[in-house]
Amino acid sequence: MQELRRSGYYRGIRIISKCLLHLVLIVLGILMVFPFIWMILSSFKPSLEVISVDFHLIPKTWTLRNYQRVFDELNITRGYVNSIIVSTSITFFVLLTATASGFLFAKLRFKGRDVLFFIVLASVMVPPQIVLIPLYILINKLHWINTYQGLIFPFMINAFGVFLMRQFIVNIPNDLIEAARIDGASDFKIYSSVILPLVRSPIAVLGILIYLWSWDEFLWPLVVVNQNEMMTLPILLSHFFKAEGGYPGESMAATTLVIGPVLIVYVFFQRHFVRGLSMTGLKG
Amino acid sequence: MVLKKKQKPISLFILVIALAVLVYYAMISIWPFVYNIFLTFRKTDLIISNKFIGLRNYRFLIDDPIFYKALLHNGLYLGVLVAFGIGTSLIFAALIYKTKGIARKVYTAMFFTPVVTSMVAVSLVWRLLYFPKVGLFATIMSKLFSVNNEKLTFLQDPSIALICIIIMDTWKDTGIRTVILLAGMDEIPDFLYEAAKIEGASQLEQFFRITIPLLRPQLIFIAAIYSINALRVYVPVYMMTGTPPGGPAHSTQVLALQMYMEAFHGLRFGYGATISMVIFVILLGLVLLEIKAFQQKWEY
Repeated sequence: MQELRRSGYYRGIRIISKCLLHLVLIVLGILMVFPFIWMILSSFKPSLEVISVDFHLIPKTWTLRNYQRVFDELNITRGYVNSIIVSTSITFFVLLTATASGFLFAKLRFKGRDVLFFIVLASVMVPPQIVLIPLYILINKLHWINTYQGLIFPFMINAFGVFLMRQFIVNIPNDLIEAARIDGASDFKIYSSVILPLVRSPIAVLGILIYLWSWDEFLWPLVVVNQNEMMTLPILLSHFFKAEGGYPGESMAATTLVIGPVLIVYVFFQRHFVRGLSMTGLKG
Repeated sequence: MVLKKKQKPISLFILVIALAVLVYYAMISIWPFVYNIFLTFRKTDLIISNKFIGLRNYRFLIDDPIFYKALLHNGLYLGVLVAFGIGTSLIFAALIYKTKGIARKVYTAMFFTPVVTSMVAVSLVWRLLYFPKVGLFATIMSKLFSVNNEKLTFLQDPSIALICIIIMDTWKDTGIRTVILLAGMDEIPDFLYEAAKIEGASQLEQFFRITIPLLRPQLIFIAAIYSINALRVYVPVYMMTGTPPGGPAHSTQVLALQMYMEAFHGLRFGYGATISMVIFVILLGLVLLEIKAFQQKWEY
């Protein structure tokens, strides 16, 4: 009898602590996404309402004026086009070079392979700041300032991507490659018809990562572009920082337009994002 | 009978890819690195003046009070971001660890959301949240703690501006650290906790005696990544502080920002290159330290 009461007592405590745990996590989770909720709702408020002592989350008067002004005056459509062209090209080149050189470093033998691999790995150690000025000089000499080539060129091979793909390709059994070779396949044929189909899922993960990184890239486009019509989205957004907190409604509309697509894609492919980004943690 | 292995001729594929990688890295990594060192001995605006000045950039650096401020701020950024970041993520991971199924996925997804968004954009959002006196944070704080909101200027207050930026930075990447720690916690075998429970260890004791020591590889990894990030931090400071960035009164100045401003706004490319060398040297030291920490064998 007493034991029964005790177990009921413990179960009660367990249920209460479980509820408490979920309550804490729900509050923390909402706090984590709150800035985005605030951003989206603020983008529909008139500027005077965004920053006011009288706080209310839901707009009192809904308006689309902020979005209209962002499209008319900031030319954000062009920013989208630029960002999509640049990010898509970078992702394409990175996937191509990462799989090809991953295959090269994992399975093919030639003189100087280890030295070359060391160069690729060592480049991770060089911070972007140290190559910034010389690269700017190089792009300037090539007359690639304010061009897509200039925006894309420094990111065509990604050392992390090469390393990641090498890790996956190393694990492909050599028998598969040898069998193809006996059938008379060239290295290129092996790459395109044996290796590529086998690394489809790391390609998807790397693709998401590179797209995200190039979509957010800030320092290089800031240096290499000074004409409005060549600016990528992050550079267009940076115009607002000069406004010293002016145009709050418009700036929230613009950030919503920049973050929005990423958030929508994230909601659908959430697992890939989490897996990919924490892989940079676990494998990098 | 020993068969001699025939040296295979190098295929076109190897030749093309290896050469492409070599030429590319020579162009975007090796040459710029060497050229950057060369630049530190010159005074150049890349247009008119370009002359050799020996070690004068380095001598100027040693006497530059803003450089020391930036260095100090990077150190502070590193310390707070790593300590505060690991502390919060550990708590969040320990909480999420106790949940299961759908709930766990939803919490992870919520915590992870800021990680996937662009730093430039979230900096703008937080800048408005930090809006002095009448912004959202100021309003909430003045209501909750009945502080005079005239005093709550956040990013315009030199004594707390940097901390405000670090808090934002910590928030942004909490999700990824939590996921890494959570994955580590899942790998810890249950029997360790069972054994501890039999011996009468409390939950807190189990956390400090079992969970944290076994998470050492993940913790070292996170500390490594975020100390490197803190050293190279640039975007949030640029986006969240006034014109010129790094203010008010250089209270948020960091090395990467100073380097950018000197080179591309002050047109002192030689001096900018010199500051970037400092970033590189500290980074190299950090990485060597971290490799050592990784290699060390730990016994329990």
